[in-house]
Amino acid sequence: MPTVRLRNASEYPEAAQRVFEGSKQWFNHDFAEPPAMSRVMAWDMDFGGPHGRAMKRAMAPGEFTRGEKEMVAAVVSGVNACSY
Amino acid sequence: MDGDALWYEAAFVVGITNALNVVADALTDARSLGATIPAPDEASAPAEVASTFGEIRTFYARADVPVAFRLLAADPGYLADVWGATRRAFEDATLTRRVKEALAFAVSVTTRSPFGTAFHLGEMRRLGVGDKGVMEVLGVTQMFSSYTKIADTLQLEPDMGDIAPSDPSPPPGA
Repeated sequence: MPTVRLRNASEYPEAAQRVFEGSKQWFNHDFAEPPAMSRVMAWDMDFGGPHGRAMKRAMAPGEFTRGEKEMVAAVVSGVNACSY
Repeated sequence: MDGDALWYEAAFVVGITNALNVVADALTDARSLGATIPAPDEASAPAEVASTFGEIRTFYARADVPVAFRLLAADPGYLADVWGATRRAFEDATLTRRVKEALAFAVSVTTRSPFGTAFHLGEMRRLGVGDKGVMEVLGVTQMFSSYTKIADTLQLEPDMGDIAPSDPSPPPGA
């Protein structure tokens, strides 16, 4: 059970709605509600904005593909014992 | 990238990387503090490990045997089995060796392993990964070390399990 009440997308302001639309495109998936992490990051756009941009920059194809980087992200999450 | 094979391969890389790192780091630290652990030098290793040491040198294209394996030489049978699992985990398969070393590097950085970080960085370099590629792996490692802690602090529950298809294929050899 999350320690906060995760707000529905409809409760967020317009700027956050654009972030949620970006999440759909990023994951190429039409979520019924934006992922919990997207809604968390949208709580404070002055944090979530640059954090999200840094993530997208880190995940962009370069010497490693996006898919390979997703796998790196998965093992880092696994080693950190993060179930999310 | 799809199919379960690559995820099994990634998991085996994570597991054996962590296994080698914990012993290499712990015993190196313990020795520096005066613990009585046999010196992990090749010259004093039992003769029975010569074949395994040879395979290790060939696999890593280096003249010496990494300390993580030298530390296991007192039990040649155990060393041979650990090495067999390591070689299998890291050889080219569905995932390339280059990607597997990147995963091992990320694991080593995340678990703060001095041995693993240096060793797998060296292997990434040897396999052709440049400064930009190393920074890419560090960037992903850093950002997901942030996301995971945010998720854990807020105790978020997984909600993206449906975005990947399941793999209906049987295990190899079935």
